[in-house]
Amino acid sequence: MIRCFSAEWLKMRHSRIGIVLAVLPGLSLLIGCANYALNRDVLVNGWYSLWTQVSLFYGEFFLPMLVAIVCAYVCRLEHMNRNWNMTLTAPVPAGGVFAAKWAVVALLILFAQTLFMLLYWAAGLLLRMPGPFPAETIGWALRGWYACLSISALQLSLSIRIRSFAVPVGFSLAAVLAGLGLYVAGVGVFFPHSLLTTGMHVLNQDPLAPGQETLFWIMNPAYALLLAGWSIRGLRRRDVATA
Amino acid sequence: MIRVLKLEFYKIRRKKIGLMLLLLLAAEMMWAFMSTSVSISRNPDQAVWASILFTTSSLNGLFMPMMTAIVVSRLCDMEHKGSTWKLLGALDVSRGRLYAAKYGCAAVLLLLVAALQAMLMTAFGLTQGFTDKFPVEWMVRYIAGTTLVSLAAASVQQWISMTVRNQAFALCLGMLGSFVGLTGALFPEAVRQWLIWAHYLELGPVTLRYADAVGSFAAQSWSPGVAAFAAGTALVCFIFGSLHAGRKEL
Repeated sequence: MIRCFSAEWLKMRHSRIGIVLAVLPGLSLLIGCANYALNRDVLVNGWYSLWTQVSLFYGEFFLPMLVAIVCAYVCRLEHMNRNWNMTLTAPVPAGGVFAAKWAVVALLILFAQTLFMLLYWAAGLLLRMPGPFPAETIGWALRGWYACLSISALQLSLSIRIRSFAVPVGFSLAAVLAGLGLYVAGVGVFFPHSLLTTGMHVLNQDPLAPGQETLFWIMNPAYALLLAGWSIRGLRRRDVATA
Repeated sequence: MIRVLKLEFYKIRRKKIGLMLLLLLAAEMMWAFMSTSVSISRNPDQAVWASILFTTSSLNGLFMPMMTAIVVSRLCDMEHKGSTWKLLGALDVSRGRLYAAKYGCAAVLLLLVAALQAMLMTAFGLTQGFTDKFPVEWMVRYIAGTTLVSLAAASVQQWISMTVRNQAFALCLGMLGSFVGLTGALFPEAVRQWLIWAHYLELGPVTLRYADAVGSFAAQSWSPGVAAFAAGTALVCFIFGSLHAGRKEL
């Protein structure tokens, strides 16, 4: 597993994926802050109002899309030059290959979330927010990352199966809307993308009810394991299209 | 030229690009229809063609940049992944023509998306029994405006997708375009006019005017300045992209 992870990490050298990871949270935050500054008379809840503005577009649209881009990126090299053949004939289990890719995605998304939180904190200081920095927002960001684990399992499954870079990202856009619809319909716990909305408290900053809280922590690994199992089974059994 | 364009369509016949576009289109139109239906149920005065045209135009800001990025990236990525650029370069067709054929193929697909949207809006309006007369001119302008902005966005996307092998950047640009399209109304006019993705609403036939905090739909005249900017962006990016891609070593 460690060897698989090292190999995956090695593939990320000189990839400049960091630019993508930094630009999207940065821009979402910039627009959110500008909107907050322009509507300060109405947004009177300090740090929490700023959170609603900066996390809305980021958590609802751009973080899932970022996950999709990163997942497509970690499968890009394998889809080129018949590299799946080489990867799957290496003396490592298919599960190890999947888990390594998943771990790299998780680490990169954790980096994006950390950057987002640092920018949120810096923006709050620059905008002279009243009161101390709300510690629970760190928890919300971590929950967002936790929800991203199931989204990344889904996106990795798609990116492993689909050779195109763009198609899984397109699926992600459609899934974002489906997730939003299910969240509004009150059945958000049954879809990975809605779990992100719930976990990051994007649309509602109230604490979750105990039942919802439990479901949130259970459904994410359930989805993740199910999708990971599907992917690993596919890697073991399906023929690799290299043309 | 027609033969090269035909070959582009031949190459994508099993790429399921149409299916991908239909999926995204279905998501967008379902959102637009649901949103308009809710508005009509709250206020029956909203049962007019302007409501669905405005909602779809505003949603296009989010969806069309991403659809454009996906279509163009797909057309270019198949050559990158298949390592077929050298093969294409060895053909008796100039690289400029190949570039134009890919752009033409993307343009046709994006035009079809806009036309399909207009057809779906028409079907929705007829089933909802909109009270006013069917606005043929608005529909034509909607298709023209949406396609024009998409063509400008496609020219930028193709430049990136052709010259940068790594499609993460092209998709990232598409996502930024979606972000700008979604939040375009928040930008000051001086900034917005330079952002091509924010023009879907401005080239649409309907706008929303506020008077005493109450919004009402109003006809929006065709803006020659915005249209010229979109056409100019498409032309400039196409020319520079074609020159850049043509001179790049394979």
